[in-house]
Amino acid sequence: MSYFRASDLSVRYDQVRAITGVSVELEEGDIVALIGANGAGKTTTLRAITGLAGLASGEIFLDGQRIDGLRPNAIVALGVAMVPEGRRVFPFLSVMDNLLMGAFLRRGRRAIAADVERVFERFPRLRERRSQAAGTMSGGEQQMLAIGRALMARPRLLLLDEPSLGLAPMLVQEIARAILAINREDRVSLILVEQNSRMALRVSSRAYALETGRVALEGASRDLANDDRIRELYLGG
Amino acid sequence: MEQVLVNGIYLGCQYALIALGLTLIFGLMGVLNFAHGQMYVLGGFVTYYVYGVLGLPFPLALVATAATLCVTGALFDKLLFRRVLRRGAREESSMLLAAGTALLLESLILIVFGEKHRGVPSLAPGVARIGDAFLPYSRIVVMVLAAALIVGFIVFMRQTRIGRGLRAIAQDREAALLQGVDVERYGMLGFAFGAALAGLAGSLLVVISGVNSGLGTWISIKAFIMVMIGGAGVVSGAILGGFILGMAESLGYRFFPGGETYLMLFVAMIVFLAIRPQGLMGKPWG
Ligand SMILES: Nc1ncnc2c1ncn2[C@@H]1O[C@H](COP(=O)(O)OP(=O)(O)O)[C@@H](O)[C@H]1O
Ligand SMILES: [Mg+2]
Repeated sequence: MSYFRASDLSVRYDQVRAITGVSVELEEGDIVALIGANGAGKTTTLRAITGLAGLASGEIFLDGQRIDGLRPNAIVALGVAMVPEGRRVFPFLSVMDNLLMGAFLRRGRRAIAADVERVFERFPRLRERRSQAAGTMSGGEQQMLAIGRALMARPRLLLLDEPSLGLAPMLVQEIARAILAINREDRVSLILVEQNSRMALRVSSRAYALETGRVALEGASRDLANDDRIRELYLGG
Repeated sequence: MEQVLVNGIYLGCQYALIALGLTLIFGLMGVLNFAHGQMYVLGGFVTYYVYGVLGLPFPLALVATAATLCVTGALFDKLLFRRVLRRGAREESSMLLAAGTALLLESLILIVFGEKHRGVPSLAPGVARIGDAFLPYSRIVVMVLAAALIVGFIVFMRQTRIGRGLRAIAQDREAALLQGVDVERYGMLGFAFGAALAGLAGSLLVVISGVNSGLGTWISIKAFIMVMIGGAGVVSGAILGGFILGMAESLGYRFFPGGETYLMLFVAMIVFLAIRPQGLMGKPWG
């Protein structure tokens, strides 16, 4: 059985079906990508995993344990962290306090301080801005902070929702490098949601293409990158 | 003129304490606590009983008041607001509930404590002279206690894990959930703290001018004014709003001993809100 398995997830907002029968699997240590156009259901899938969106049907297992139906804070406690769409840093908290919020459920000042230090080593710009209010930083810096905040939870599974959205190409490269480093060095399994399919297919080993709330195509990222349909739909020919 | 200033600062300290509690509850729950003034009155009566009737030390009365109001606030949240907020997509439902809780609490206070105006022995007899102004010692004690509570609250919100969690919820509830904050539990905590702040302000008032069960609505209105001036949900705004109202009231009563002061204040506020609807510090939780 896979390390992480979500099967047959359906979510409805009022009467509207946001996703229908979406299944996603992930082996420990892997990076899996969810790609698809705006409104395809990528965010909703991640919200279902973190417990923010209630399921109309489906099951979710992490490391053999069933996690659907748990409350969001219980799911975080089991090691699932999310970098939400649009970063969602706490705008009037300092960079430092944002990072400490990421460690909200953890005990042990020393270990937390050591992890803050590691985030600063990974994203040196955050160290310079440690006392600045997060809302006053640039989009790229906020994205780094959102990733750093999620890492502060010491996650086993990290969900990233469009981390490259609205960033300059150079910053997209930097974020992509950070994602790979987090996966390799911290041994964190990742689900990466992207509209930037090129980047997502490059860093992931497997990928799912969502279309109007369903999985339209899945397979090895390399194969998807060469698939005619994907090339046409998401990679611009 | 010095007397006006001294009175203004004295009033401002108390008012800021009231506004802080209201803004805390608003920032966390998105609920305007209509019963804030009644919570203040309840605090006054608890202090009246513990300090005035039972004759126990004043600090003990403060502790008893804080505890009583914490429980009241927590119950308000758990039994009433949480249920309505969970279901209600409409803001009107929580507004109506809030108005209802004010009536409920006022009636309960009337039944339990009666309609008499109650006072307690002075904390410290005597009057201090500050320049040309006079300030009774008891008012100085009240002012210092209020200021200490305000500073304590700010330090708590900035320096502790719980305080950080509360601020995070006020800024982005869903992002706070994603960090593992149990937002329902923390909402209850915030309601409890906000109620305790109102109650403690009532404790301080009872020493100066006594308390009766009809004061609540008027206090709530003042609290709303302060929060509107400062900007709802903002700590610095609540404090600023408290001091502005305190100063305006002190100034107003110096020149218009009748009821014109608040009439003018309301007019000024309508004009002000038309120009700057978000209040002076209009942003959540600085
Ligand atoms: N809060 C919501 N209320 C109603 N419909 C929603 C809500 N969030 C998303 N949807 C709908 O669900 C579908 C999937 O949205 P989403 O998961 O955000 O897609 P993506 O992240 O792939 O852009 C869309 O049709 C969207 O309009
Ligand atoms: Mg999305």
